[in-house]
This record gives sequence, C-alpha cells and structure tokens, in this order.
Amino acid sequence: MTDSQHTTSVEVRDVVKSFGGVLALEHVNLEFRVGEVHALLGENGAGKTTLSNILAGIYREESGHIFIGGVERSFHNPAQAIEAGVGMVHQHFRLVNSMSVAENLHLGSPDTPKIVSQRLLIDRARAMMADIGLTVDPEAKIWQLSVGEQQRVEILRVLARGARVLILDEPTAVLTAKEARELFVVMRRLAEGGRTVVFISHKLNEVLEVSDRITVLRGGRHVITREGAGVTARELARLMTGDEAGIEVAHREVRGDDVLVLDGVSARNSRGVEALHGVSFSVRSGEILGIAGVSGNGQTELAEVVTGLRRSDSGRVSIDGAAVTNTSSRRITDLGVGHIPEDRIGVGMVASAPLKDNAVLRHYRDPELSTRRLLKRDRVVEFARSLVEVGRVQTRSVHMPAGQLSGGNQQRLVARRESLLASRLLVAAHPTRGLDVLASKQVQEAIIERRDAGCAVMMISDDLDEILAVSDRILVMYEGRVMGVFNRADYDRERIGLMMGGRTEATS
Amino acid sequence: MILGYRLQRRLDADARRSAIYRISGAVAGLLVSGLFLLVTGRNPVTILADSFEAVFGSKRGIEGVAVQSIPILMCAIGVSLSLRMKVWNIGSDGQFLAGAFVACGIGINVDLPAGVLLPLMMLGSLIGGAIWILVPAAARAHWGVNEIITSLLLNFVAVQLVVWASLGFWRDTTSMVTQSTRSVPFTLPRIPGFDSVSIAFFVPLILALALWVVFRSTKVGYEIDIIGGNPRAASFAGINVPRRVIIVMLTSGAIAGLGGVLQLTGAPGAQALNGGGFSRAYGLSGFIVAALAGASFLGVLVAGLFLSSMFYAGIALQTKGLSVYIIFAIYGMVLIGVAIGETASRYRLYRSVAEMSGPVDLETVTSGAAS
Repeated sequence: MTDSQHTTSVEVRDVVKSFGGVLALEHVNLEFRVGEVHALLGENGAGKTTLSNILAGIYREESGHIFIGGVERSFHNPAQAIEAGVGMVHQHFRLVNSMSVAENLHLGSPDTPKIVSQRLLIDRARAMMADIGLTVDPEAKIWQLSVGEQQRVEILRVLARGARVLILDEPTAVLTAKEARELFVVMRRLAEGGRTVVFISHKLNEVLEVSDRITVLRGGRHVITREGAGVTARELARLMTGDEAGIEVAHREVRGDDVLVLDGVSARNSRGVEALHGVSFSVRSGEILGIAGVSGNGQTELAEVVTGLRRSDSGRVSIDGAAVTNTSSRRITDLGVGHIPEDRIGVGMVASAPLKDNAVLRHYRDPELSTRRLLKRDRVVEFARSLVEVGRVQTRSVHMPAGQLSGGNQQRLVARRESLLASRLLVAAHPTRGLDVLASKQVQEAIIERRDAGCAVMMISDDLDEILAVSDRILVMYEGRVMGVFNRADYDRERIGLMMGGRTEATS
Repeated sequence: MILGYRLQRRLDADARRSAIYRISGAVAGLLVSGLFLLVTGRNPVTILADSFEAVFGSKRGIEGVAVQSIPILMCAIGVSLSLRMKVWNIGSDGQFLAGAFVACGIGINVDLPAGVLLPLMMLGSLIGGAIWILVPAAARAHWGVNEIITSLLLNFVAVQLVVWASLGFWRDTTSMVTQSTRSVPFTLPRIPGFDSVSIAFFVPLILALALWVVFRSTKVGYEIDIIGGNPRAASFAGINVPRRVIIVMLTSGAIAGLGGVLQLTGAPGAQALNGGGFSRAYGLSGFIVAALAGASFLGVLVAGLFLSSMFYAGIALQTKGLSVYIIFAIYGMVLIGVAIGETASRYRLYRSVAEMSGPVDLETVTSGAAS
C-alpha cells in the first residue's frame, strides 16, 4: 500500500454518542482507507467499542455523519450495516457450539437457500472459504475447534456476507501468542486483498506489529491518527493515557524462605476432568511468581486448590510449612492468605449488597469488627471507609450497592481487601483483566507493595506483558502441567510464548 | 426511523423503589380483580365498602383479622426467613400442618399438666415443621434440587396425613363430627379485653422484631444475606453454605410448624385437627405476604395485617353470597401484580429512537466520558 493510491472506505465526521447523559463519543472525526489495517487504540471507556458498534449498526449516532464508500449511511440494525459492507467480529463469539462450521456460516444469512442438505452447506462453505482464502474444516462442530479457529469462523461468517470493512473487537484477547501471530497474517492478507481491517486493541505491541495506521481515542475524543511506522510503544501509551503509562517495577534477587509449596498436586475441574496433573513448585517470601499461560490451562483450578476452594485428588500443599492440603478456605485465610479471584463479580463480591458489606466480606469475623454474635456496625462502616480510601475506590458512599461501582473500582476494592489479608501469601488471578491503564497500575502497585512487605505472591495472568513486567520469576502452564520456570535473568518472550502454546522447544 | 419503547436492566437494586413497585403491583391486582367482579355482575365498590364495614365496623371484625393474622404471619415469617437466602419455601402450609399434627399427637396422647404439656407441644411443632422441610432442604443444599417443587408437593402429603389422622387413628369417636381428631385439653389464654384473640397474637410480632434485629446487627444475619446475594461469594468468605442453607430452611419450617400449634391451642374453636379444613391455605397467604414484603421483617407485619384483613373480609362476605374462593382468586391477582412489580422495578423503560437496540456496553455507559 502506498500513500499515493489510497481511497477512503469509511469516513466518520463529527459523530456524537452519549449514554444516559454521559458522552461516549465527542465529535469524532476519522477515516479508514481501502487496503489498510487500521488500529483503534484506547483505554476502557475511550470510545473504541462505541464507535465500532455505531459502524456495525448496533448503536445509532446521535449526530454527525458516516460515509461508507463515499455514500452517507446511518444504520438502524446490524443487517443494514453488513449490507453496506461493514461487518464486526465481537469479543465474545456468536456461534452455535453444537452446530458445524458450515451450518454456522449459513445461519442468518439471506443468501442461504431455503432448502438445504448437509452436503450442500458443506460445499457452499468450501466455496466461500476458497473465495476468501481462509480455511477451517467445514464439517467440524464449533466446540471441537480451538478458540483461534472459532474466531476464524466468525471472520469467515462476516466476510461471506460481503463485508469490505472488517472490524475486530479485541481479537487477540482470547488467543495464544502463536494464534495471534496467525491472525495478524490473515489480517494483512485481507488488507492486501483490498479490504479495510479495523483492529481494536489496547495492547501496544500488537498494534505496532500489524497496523498501517493507528488512531488513538481517549475519553471519547479523537487524539491522533498517524502512520504505524516510526512510532514507539512509549509514545502511544502516553497518547492513550495522557501521561506516562506502564509500571516500573524494581526487581531484585530474593532469597526468602518458601511460603507456598506444592508437591505433585492433581485436581479435577468442575466438569470432573483432571485439570492439574502433578504440579510442583514453590513461591518464596518477597517474590512474585507469575503464572503464564492461556486461560483454561489449569490456572483457575490451581488458584482454587491453593486457597481451599477446590479439593485436590493427590499431592501436597503447604503454607509456611503447615500442611493445608484440602483444608477449609477459612483456615487457609487465617494463615494470612489473600485471594484476588479470577471472577471478581461472581466470586469475590456480592453485587447486590452494599459496598460496606463487601468490604468486610473476608474480615467480618475479626474481633475488631464483630463480637461472638454481633456485627459492630459502626466499625464495619469505618473499615469500609478506610479500605475505600487506601484503595482509591471512587464511590459516593459505602452504603451503595457494590454492583454500582465500575469494574475498575470493584477490582480496587477486592485487591485492597485481599492485600490486607495477605500477610504471608497473595494469590492474584487475572488481577487487571478488563481494567484500564490507571486502574491496572494501581492494582499492580497493591500487589507489589505486598511483595515488598515480604509476602509471597502467586500472580496468574494471560497477559504476557503484565507477567513479564511484574513477576520476579515466571512459571508457564499448559494443559495443567508446568512447562518451565524462568528466572528474571532468563526471560525469553519467544520461548515463554511457545511454551504457553504447548511447545517445549522452538521447533515450529 | 424506529420509534419504540425498550427496557433496559437497571444496574442497581434499590429497596425503596422495589417496595413501591411491589405495592403498586398489588394495587393493580386488586383493580383487575374488581374488574372481574364487575364483569360477573357484582359491584366491586359495594364489596369494598362491605369489606371495610366487616373489618373495621366492629370489634368483632378487628378480632377476626387478628385471629386470622396469627397463622398467616407465622407462615409469612418462615417464608421470609428462607427468602433472605433466596430460597423459596412454598411448603409452609405443609410445615404448618405438620407442626399442628405433632402437637396434636402429643396433646391428646400425653397426660401431663398444661404447664408441661404446652412447652412439649411447642417443641413438637417446631420439630414437626422442621422435619417437613428436611428432605427439600438437604436436597437443595447438597444436590441443588429446586426447593420450589419439593416443598410444594409435600403440602399435599401433609394434608392427607391430617385427613388420615382425623378420619382414622386419632379420630374423635365420641363426636358426631366425622372428620375430627380428639381435642387437645386446653386453650391459650385470651388477651385481656378480647373475646377471641389469644396471647399467641404476640408471637409473630415478637418473632418478626427479633428477626429484624438479627438481620440488622448479627453475624448470622449478615452471613445469610451474603448467601442470598451470592452463594459463591459466601463460600469464598469461608461460610459453610450447605450447612447454613439447611439450618435456615429447617428454621423456616419450624416457624411455620410453631404456627400450627398456636392455631391448635389459640384459635377459637380449633383444638383439634379437622380433616383438610385446619389450614385455610395459610401457607399460601403467608407466601404472598412474604413476596409482598420482599423479605423485610417489618414489611411482613404490615403486609400480613393487610392480607389478613382481606382474608377475613372474604370470610365475612360469605354471608352475602360470595365464595371464599373468590378471595383466593384475588390473592392470585395480587401475587401476579407483585411479581410483575418486582420484575419491573429492575428495569427502566426507555422511549428510544432505535438506540440501545444492541447489548448495552455497561463499561461504556458507566465510565464513557468520565475518564
């Protein structure tokens, strides 16, 4: 693609959108070109998803103009958008798991013949794939496919409907490093074939790797659009957040005592299938052990076994030398173990209950907060207020339901609460998932603060950047097994990435 | 341009808004019932006026309401307790009968002075009510079996048990009444100045206040509310959820069971189990009261007295050719109204120009331009 020949495929002019009086997009202007991969970069709430939802016909702009291929359009529904050639692949797939790839490709398409047979659907699916240049076994059921393949089906489905503009909403959030690479190849190829690929992300490295041009949104406003070449991650981060982002962690060699020790631990997941196979490792006092891996490779079960929420079938777990294999979560908590759970809304808090009740969820038995039978209600409020203050939780009152807090504030609350419990061990599962840069930074700071105070930290994350930045050692998990452990000095992004995908050595 | 109304789920649960919606729902249910009465050729206004006259027109009316309110409130308090944990105990009628059954068995078969016998009967009623919910409770706590079905079905078993007792093994052979057990040998004293209201009237009042305090200020109350709000978070907090579920459900059943003995020893002319007629669907009334009050223990008292008035008016109006089943039909309307109100309070109605047609991105809504 050269600068001289570009044509505009989508133009957004002065678009405004608000939700319940809160402006989500403020007079945004930008254009996407034919044949480019265009990244939309921004924090949560910057307006990237709102903008793409308007382009895809899910929301309607309040004012402003949208031109698709030079013609002004305004969509009432996604069908109109796709008819105009704009298709979107959402973060959460909209596929029917029990149906085949071919069936999913035909679902809801006006071009699907009225009378069909499996044979016909499969043949048509093959033809579509050949046309587009992307293949997935058309006979496979969706549930049999990897996440990357499922995503490819979603892309195929949009392209088969004739989309010339493909919007991908955080497409790499669910992929392994290797799958992400493959997706980038597909994105480049589609762009070179004359389509426009809009890539929504908040991961700087990926954006830099694949984009021709980059647009940064912040707080619903267009900050800048520029060529991808020549820009640095640091610059982009500054544009995204308005200030120097990223966390600087002082790492040091620690030789603390082992706090958490696992020896040959196996456990089953909720469906009864063994999800941890003889896992052994230890976490020392004053270090952060990062557990790297793609979600669903046993990390959830690992965190639950360690914190007493799940029974192990074999092996031993000890904390500070005390055997805690299959003991109650309460006893483990009493040993000074905090747990920032993966599903913070589903497990870590009670959305319908007031913030104050959530603040004391794990501390209410403390003699400071209750007698044998009675809750000291004033103390509970005091405790909640202090937690809100140190955790920088933004809220009007501690009496309002915790569910009304934004995601970032919920996590600030949970992270501080658990840090307070964690005198010996903090288990943090995906602590910054879904948070914007500022909230992530504060949550990470809370974790590092515990480490510096001599606490052992086991941090699970599927964001490799985060693991690399924060951890003092890294353990890679794949399919319930430990693939390898790296000391800070031997960090090798490529090798860690390969191990996350199941390879021990770089032989691809 | 698509103009239309759309519903959007509210992010917050506001107790006051929920209460207003539920009460409005109840009123709407009454209005619809009035419409039905009108269609069937009765004047709802006259009926309303007659009802007022029946309830508030005389001391007898007030007493009648108070008498009816005892079993209704006992059932309602039991249901409310489990409702705090989001457990729907639909079987309080059965638990009420089981409590009365055990108490009656003790009362007619054990020969002891009243001072010993009464506490014994009360204990028996508590156990009877608790046993009646034991299986639903254990099934719910350990295997997640839906308690609505199991507790409901046991109602019918309890009715048959009582019918069997009054026709068979405890039948009063000396009486002309074919469907009655022998009578327990005493009644509870009346409240001074009243002819028919026994001191049992204070039991639900005291119990509701006590539970109000429990949920306001105690650890146990806090834990039960946490389980109701999010059982997984409760486990995370170290609460033994299955054990608590069982204890709360058994207590819920025991309270309804205690209602049984209060009825047996306190209500005018009760003293014996008489076939299927011992409980006039008190469990059903109690359930509606609990739903109307939204598991608030002070609300239960208000809603309970309201429904008892309706119930008593229904009984009183039988002399004017109205069937008591009409009251049950009106109950149904009120309950539907409350249920709709409860659901409606969780949504907001939008007049929209084709906006919000997709899934609403909450993150965007809440923090959109705030950053």
